[in-house]
Amino acid sequence: MEHHPELSVSPPTQLHRAQRTFSLGARFLGRDWTIGWLFTTPLVVILLLLIAYPIFVGILLSFQYKLVGSEAHWAGLANYRRLLVGEDHAIFWQSVRVTFIYTGVAVVSKLLLGLGMALVLNERFPGRNIFRAFFFLPWAAPTVVVALTWRWLYDGTIHGFFNLLLTELFHRNYPVQFLANPRYALWAVILVVIWQGTPFYIMMLLAGLQAIPAELYEAAAIDGANAWHRFRAVTMPGLRSTITVTVLLSTIWTANSINFIYILTGGGPVNATMTFPMLAYQIGIGGSRQLGLAAAVSIIFLPAFLPIIYYLSRMMVSTSQES
Amino acid sequence: MQARATSRISSPRWLSLGKGLILGSALIAFSVWTVIPFFWMIITAIKPNSEIYRETRLLPRHPTFQHFVELMTQTNFLTYLRNSVIVAIGTTIIAIVVGSLAAYALTRLTFRGRALLANATIVTYLMPPALLFIPLFQVAFQFHLTNKAVGLIPIYLIAAAPFSTWMAMAYFATIPKELEEAALVDGATRWQILWQVITPLALPAIAVIALFTFTQAWNEFLFALLLISSESQKTIPVGLAELIIGDVFQWGPLMAGALIASLIPTTIYLIAQRWIISGLLAGAVKQ
Repeated sequence: MEHHPELSVSPPTQLHRAQRTFSLGARFLGRDWTIGWLFTTPLVVILLLLIAYPIFVGILLSFQYKLVGSEAHWAGLANYRRLLVGEDHAIFWQSVRVTFIYTGVAVVSKLLLGLGMALVLNERFPGRNIFRAFFFLPWAAPTVVVALTWRWLYDGTIHGFFNLLLTELFHRNYPVQFLANPRYALWAVILVVIWQGTPFYIMMLLAGLQAIPAELYEAAAIDGANAWHRFRAVTMPGLRSTITVTVLLSTIWTANSINFIYILTGGGPVNATMTFPMLAYQIGIGGSRQLGLAAAVSIIFLPAFLPIIYYLSRMMVSTSQES
Repeated sequence: MQARATSRISSPRWLSLGKGLILGSALIAFSVWTVIPFFWMIITAIKPNSEIYRETRLLPRHPTFQHFVELMTQTNFLTYLRNSVIVAIGTTIIAIVVGSLAAYALTRLTFRGRALLANATIVTYLMPPALLFIPLFQVAFQFHLTNKAVGLIPIYLIAAAPFSTWMAMAYFATIPKELEEAALVDGATRWQILWQVITPLALPAIAVIALFTFTQAWNEFLFALLLISSESQKTIPVGLAELIIGDVFQWGPLMAGALIASLIPTTIYLIAQRWIISGLLAGAVKQ
């Protein structure tokens, strides 16, 4: 029995012999460098050509005057100046404000709603699996389909679903312009984001809840903890890392999604829903086609996401190594 | 002891009534909230135009399939469908091959650059595409990827390849090393080990990666919108979104198309729900 650990520590002797004959290359580049590099080449090609290179192009573009289909000219910091303090500063700072409200309100609502429903689904009751499957559906449906359906729900004629309800139930005689009124538009869009995004939170948090050992709850109950105390002392600490990962992932996805806004409002009315990806789209592709200026919009926002990406990647790498 | 025992029997029963009410109302409220858009989509798809635009009734009086027929015969929906299938399947197959090869090397082999590449993979997986779409618009022109459906496949690999690599790494790490060490001793090559030892064991993980990659590619909108302009090359999301841009809002056929476009990913998710959730966790959090 005592020989077992030794066996697993030192590899079989034939391997040793093979290692000794390894070339000089192996010593510097690692034991399996040929096959290792061969297997990872396709991934490396994708990372370099389609990710690293576009990032480089994006940084370069942000320092250039570049219209779609014409020569680029060096612009120095002109694009950045124009956005931050120059002629486009009003719409740029509006997009900063809208992006913050949009992301913040959506993420917090999804977390609260998701946590609530995860706690509900964590209880035992008949039909639980059916509800769980059903609540998952919004997340599975294509975003474009969801956006188009909500656009029809919000339709500003009496034939749209919400206006139909308002007319029939409350006898309103003029329809509400959910998406065309600058006072409602942002909230209407946020509601759609919450509708589609909450299932992801439910699933992640439910799995997190189920990973908390039942003994902890039993111990707390024996100590006389009531439901609120158990939630504070057992559930929340147990969910902490799940919540962190879920919220950070969702913050990145929400802030950068363009589909809902593109289809529901296109950034309007009067820029009420102009988040930064929509602004970059509008400047670079939709309207004036100034790629340089549009690239600068994205580059300015990059520093906001780098700490999140860095922190999340550390967290995900370390948890995957533990398991 | 006696007192506590009785209170534990009696009070939960009283509590469970209150708790049951809270649970029940939360379930009902959330079900209504979840069902409204699906309900409206289906109702609109089967209502005749006269009832959609001239009447104010919630439920259809004369349900009809005319919008589905219209969608198939008077729009390019079948072309969009074909393109979506090609793009989604192409992306899935390439992502799985690229991801499994890289994940095997990154979890099992020793070579210089391994740690750097593993970190680059996870950072890229987290990198939001909105930060890249402006330069990618230009890069896609340089690489001649525009205006053809298959040109979307490399673009979708930007997200799909790091994702599948990351997911496969998480799964490969759970397969015991002893199995392949035995095979190595028997003189098997790394290639044989990957195909004959690891792949059969990793099939559930590969299925999850395939489901995710397929639905992501199936649902993708932004790059399809940016890079495709010919009708014959559009995928379903762009084709549908542009039914709206015309002069008349074609809500009937649009909702019929929305229903068809939702059926594939939602069916996949319903059938494979359990695996998908475990896959989500493997990719994001430790269980």
